[in-house]
Amino acid sequence: MILTAESIKQIKESAARYPHRKSAILPAITIAYRQVGHLNDDIYREISKIINIPQSEIAEAATFYTLFPKQPVGKYLIQVCHNISCALMGADSLVEYLEHKLAIKKGETTKDNLFTLISVECLGSCATAPMMQINQDFHENLTPAKVDKILADLKAKG
Amino acid sequence: MTEILKAFVNVIIKMPQGFGVTLKYLFRKPVTVQYPKQKIPMTPRYRGRHYLERYDDGTERCVCCGLCAAACPADAIYMEPEETANGERKAKVYEINLLRCIFCGFCEEACPEEAVFLGQDYEFSADNRNSFIWTKDQMLVKHPRKENPLKRIIRRVRRVYGVPTAK
Amino acid sequence: MADSTKIETPARTVETVTFTINGRTATVAKGTTVLQAAHGLGITIPSFCWHPKLKPVGACRMCYVEIEKMPKLQVSCATEVTNGMVVFTESDKVKQGRRAIIEFTLLNHPLDCPTCDKGGECDLQNLTFAHGYDDSRFAFQKLRKIEAGVPSTFDDIKIGPEIVLNRNRCILCYKCVRANKEAFGEYDLGAFERGNHTEINAAPGQQVDNPFSGNLVEICPVGALTNTDWRYKIRVWLTDQKASICPFTSSGTNIQFYVERHKNRIFRTTGRRNDAIDDGWLSDVTRYGYQIIQSPDRLKTPLIKKNGKQVPATWDEALAVAAARLTEIRDKKGCVCVGGLASPSLDNASLYTFNKFMRVAMESNNVDYRTEYRRLPSSLDNPYDIAASQAFTIADIDESDVIVVIGSDLVREHPNEYLRVRKAEQFNRSKVFLLNPLSTKPSDVAALELVHKPGAEEIAISAICLAAMESGWASGVNADDLKSKTGFKKAADAAGACGLDLIEIQAVARAIAEGKKITIIAGELVTRSREREAIGAALCNLNRVFGVDGKGQMAILARHANSVGAARLGLTPDLGAGFAGALKSIWGQYPETPPQNTDAMLAAARKEELDAMILVGVNPVMIYPDREFAREALDKLDFLIACDLFETETTQLADVVLPLAGWAEYRGEYFNLEGRLQSAEPGIAPLNEARPAHQILESLAEQCGSPLFAGMDQRNAEMEKILKVDIRRPWPTGLIEVKPQPQETAPERTVALIMGDDPHHSGYLTEKAPSLVGFCGEAYAELSPELAAKLKVGAGDSVRLEAATGKIIVPVRVSEHIDNDVVFVPRNFMAAPVNSLVSRKQRVDWVKISKVSD
Repeated sequence: MILTAESIKQIKESAARYPHRKSAILPAITIAYRQVGHLNDDIYREISKIINIPQSEIAEAATFYTLFPKQPVGKYLIQVCHNISCALMGADSLVEYLEHKLAIKKGETTKDNLFTLISVECLGSCATAPMMQINQDFHENLTPAKVDKILADLKAKG
Repeated sequence: MTEILKAFVNVIIKMPQGFGVTLKYLFRKPVTVQYPKQKIPMTPRYRGRHYLERYDDGTERCVCCGLCAAACPADAIYMEPEETANGERKAKVYEINLLRCIFCGFCEEACPEEAVFLGQDYEFSADNRNSFIWTKDQMLVKHPRKENPLKRIIRRVRRVYGVPTAK
Repeated sequence: MADSTKIETPARTVETVTFTINGRTATVAKGTTVLQAAHGLGITIPSFCWHPKLKPVGACRMCYVEIEKMPKLQVSCATEVTNGMVVFTESDKVKQGRRAIIEFTLLNHPLDCPTCDKGGECDLQNLTFAHGYDDSRFAFQKLRKIEAGVPSTFDDIKIGPEIVLNRNRCILCYKCVRANKEAFGEYDLGAFERGNHTEINAAPGQQVDNPFSGNLVEICPVGALTNTDWRYKIRVWLTDQKASICPFTSSGTNIQFYVERHKNRIFRTTGRRNDAIDDGWLSDVTRYGYQIIQSPDRLKTPLIKKNGKQVPATWDEALAVAAARLTEIRDKKGCVCVGGLASPSLDNASLYTFNKFMRVAMESNNVDYRTEYRRLPSSLDNPYDIAASQAFTIADIDESDVIVVIGSDLVREHPNEYLRVRKAEQFNRSKVFLLNPLSTKPSDVAALELVHKPGAEEIAISAICLAAMESGWASGVNADDLKSKTGFKKAADAAGACGLDLIEIQAVARAIAEGKKITIIAGELVTRSREREAIGAALCNLNRVFGVDGKGQMAILARHANSVGAARLGLTPDLGAGFAGALKSIWGQYPETPPQNTDAMLAAARKEELDAMILVGVNPVMIYPDREFAREALDKLDFLIACDLFETETTQLADVVLPLAGWAEYRGEYFNLEGRLQSAEPGIAPLNEARPAHQILESLAEQCGSPLFAGMDQRNAEMEKILKVDIRRPWPTGLIEVKPQPQETAPERTVALIMGDDPHHSGYLTEKAPSLVGFCGEAYAELSPELAAKLKVGAGDSVRLEAATGKIIVPVRVSEHIDNDVVFVPRNFMAAPVNSLVSRKQRVDWVKISKVSD
C-alpha cells in the first residue's frame, strides 16, 4: 500500500460528502498527490478500491490535469505556462533560460533532486505574463533577473 | 479515239511516273525495321507491361490497398494483403493477368503510393495462358526507367505525417 | 385472476412539438433531438460521434445546423426540438461549418488511407468526400502518438486479444468509450490526457477483453480500432453481405457476413441492427463464432467404422451402411430400439425433417432435443414447461420499471437481454433485482443482488411470495393455501432456508408489487436444475401472487438458437394427444412406441434396450450432465450415427460419422426466444463434403425405403400446418404445490460446482474459433477471494476438482464476482470436461477442491 491510513481516512471522509461517487475522484487524487508527491497506476488502483470507482475513470481524471505529476519530481516543481499570453511575452525564452540555468531539459529533474521543470497549459495569470508556478506559488512578470533571484532563494532554502 | 489517246498517255507519262516513285524509295532509308534484331524506341507515354516500384531503402512501395484492382476495368488484378512484423501492410500476392489487361493505365493513375506503373515493354508472348499471369516477383524487378520523378518521397511515413518525425 | 391486482396502465400521452426544417413543417415527440427528427424525416445530417443507442455528447461538431435566432451553428445531436424552431441543414453557413470541421478533424489524422483497413467504409473518408475541401491550411507536422518499444511503423498497439489501436487515426468521437461505459458497463477503455494529446487507450494494466469488445471496432468511425480478425485481409468493397442469424444466442441476434464469393470464405461478421432484438450490439461469441465454420479441423468426409477404426468413405457408402443397419435394427428389434437426439441450434427444416424421420421412417417416439438437462419431464404439462412457454418480448425489457432475474447468469447466457437490462437501468432508471446462487455481472446496476444457497431457487421464490402475502401486497391469494403449498409457515423461515435476509426478500416483494411494468427473467440455472419442476411451480405461484401476467412478462428463457422451434415442431418425445393428433392427420401415421426422453434413451441404451441412435449436431458426452453415464450408454449401442461439424468425443464412438454443414452454409429459419421467425441466408457454400442436416436426413430416409417428402414445397406446407398448433399453456389459475426439496447438505470440505458458458464461448464448438480462444483458451475454476485464500492459491496456480464421478485439474481465477463458497467452471473446453464432475442424480454438485502442488 502506498497510501497511508491517514490518507485513506481522508479520502473516505471526502467521498462521503458527495451525492455521486464520481465526485470524489478529484478530492481523492488530490489527497493522494499531497501525500506521495506524484501519481501513478498503482495509486489509481488503490484509490479505485477505496472509493469503488473503476481505475480507468480515476486515470482519466488524473491525466487530464497537468498539475498532478505522473512521475516522481524534485522538491520544487517549476511549471511554466506556455499558452498564448505567456508565449507572446516570451515563455519560450523563459523555458530556455531555465533549462540553461538548471542544466536540464524540459521534463527533467536536476541531479540534486531539487527542481523539476515542465511547461503547462494556461495557469490563469495572463495579465502578468510570463509566469511560472513553483509548487503552490505563482511567480509573475518574470525576467531573467527575477528568475535568478527566485532560484537562488530556493537553493538557499534547500 | 479518246481511249487510244488515254492509253498512250498512261504508257508514256503515268507509268514512268510510278516507276519513278519506286526508284526514289530505292535510295531512301527503309521505314520498316528488322524487328527481332532491331527495335523502335517507344513513345514516352507508351503503356506496356507493369512494374512495381520500390523505395530507395529497398522496401516495396505497394501496400496492397486494392485501389488498382478496384480501378481496373478489365478486372485483371488480384491481390492479397498481409501484415509484416512491424505492423505494415504489404502484398502477399499481387498478380496481373496480362491477357485480360487492356493497358489503359488506370491502375497507375489510381495508385496512391505510386507503386505500380506501366513500362515500355511490349514483349511478353508465351505458349501457355498461365505464363501471362504476372506475379509480384516478376514485376518487382529492376526496371529500365532511369529517372524516377517521385524519388524525393523517401519513406511513406513522411507523407503520412507531413514531415519526418523521429521515432 | 383477481381484479384487485390488476393495475390500470393509462395510454401514454406523448407531448409533441412542431418545428420547421428546411422549409418543411413537422411534428415530433417532445425531447427529440434535431438530428433524430431530421433522420426521421429523411434528411441526413452527417455526424461522427452520434450513435442511436448512446446518449448524445456533441464531441465531433459535424452535425452542425443553423437554427433561426441562434447566433451560432448548433450541434443538432444535442439540441432538442422546441416549438416554432426553424432549422436549416443545408444553408451556406452550415456547409461552411461542416467544411471547417472536416478540415479540423483532419488536423492530426494521418493520410494513410491506403494502409488503413477502414478504407472504403470509413465515415471520415465519406464525409470528407461529401463535405470537405481538397486542401488544408494546416501545413505543419501532424501530432504523432508514439509508444516506446512498439515495433510498429504506424504506432499500432494491441490493446486486447482482438483489438488493435492506432491512436494517430483517432478523431476523438468517444463513441467507443461511451459505448463501453454506457451500454456494456465495462471500464477497460478510457480517454486519457487532455486537448491535442488526448488518447483512447486501455485502462492502465488492463486489456480490452470484455464480452462485447468487438462492437467498439464496429462503431469506430475511422480506422483507429481494428480487429485482428479482419485486419489486412480483404477490402470491404470486394465482399458481399449476407444476412444471417446468430446460432449461439437464443434471441436470434441479427448479423451479416462479409463474404468473398470466389474464395467461398467469410471474412467477418457485423451487426444488422434490429431494435426489437439486439439494438445493433453483438456479443463476441456472435461476432467471432463464424470462424468455427472455416476451421481446418472440420470433418471433411463421412467416416465409417471398419474393424474398430473410422475410415473415410463416400456419402453413398455411408448412407447405405447407415440405412441398412437402421432398418435392420428397426425391423428386427422393434421401433422402440431406435432413438435420436437433435441440436436445438439447428434450423426449422432440419428439426422438422428429423422429427419426421424418427417418427415416420423409424416409427419411434424416441425423439428429443434437450441433451444438457437432468431429469427431464416426460410430458409438457408441468409447471416448468408452463413457465417456459410464456410469451416474452425482448424490447419490453427496456420499458419495465422492475426487472427480476432469477437463476440466470445473464451475460453468459443471454448477452442481448443483459444489455437490455443495463439499458433499462441506464435510460429508464429501472430497478434490477438479481436472485442467483452466485454473484453475476449486472450486479453493478442492480438495486439489490440476492445470493442464495445453491439449490434453493424455489425456496427463495416462495419466500418472496410469502413476504408479499405477510405484508398484504398479495390480496388475491389465500394465505393458508400459500403456506401449505410452499411448505413454509413464515417468509422468515423460507428466507433462512435459502440463506437470505428477510429484509432483502421483502424489498424484492415490495418492488414487484409496486412495479407498473415488470419483467421477470428466469434462465439456465433454473432450466439446468434437477428440480426445475419445483422451481417452475414456484414461478407459477409468483405469477399468481403478484399478477405478473397482468402487468408485465415472466418467462423462463429458451437457451438455444432454435429451442422454441424445436418445441413447436414437436421434438419432445411425448407430445400429448392434441399435438400428436395434429401430426397424425398430417402424416397419416403416428408411432405407438412409448416416448422416451434423453434420460430414458441413454438409460435404455446402457441397459442395452436401445440399439441404435442418430445424433444430429449434439455431443452428449460433452454436454450431458453425467459424462461417464452418457459415454457408457453410447458405447453400448449397436449402431450409432453422429452428424457433427467436428470430431468430438461422441463422433469417436460412432459407427457412421456424417459431416454436417454449419448454419452459415445453408438457408435456414429459426425461432428466437420470443417466437419470432427469422431466416438466415447462406454465407458460403458447404465446405468439403458437408451437407445440411435436412438433406442428410432426407437421403437417409430415402435409403431406408420411406422417402419423407415429395419436395421442398411439401415439407414447407407440412411445417406450416404444424406451426399452427399452439403449444403455449396458460398460467395455472390456482396455486401449485412446490414440493419442498430436502436441503442437501454439503459433504465435508466441498464446495458447490456451477458450470456454465464462459462469456466468450457457447457450447462445445466455439473452442474452434481462434479469436474466441484468444480471449479464453482453457477452462478455469473461478473462486471467491476467501476460498482462494483458504486454499492458499492465487492466479497461476491450479486446483484439482474431484467428485465421485471424476476429476479435473484447472487453473485458478480469483474473482470478486463469486462468493457463497461456489466454484464456477466453464463447460466449453474439451480438455477439461467439467460434466465429468456432475451427476444427474444430484441437485447440487459438490466437489472437493484442493491445490495442485507441482
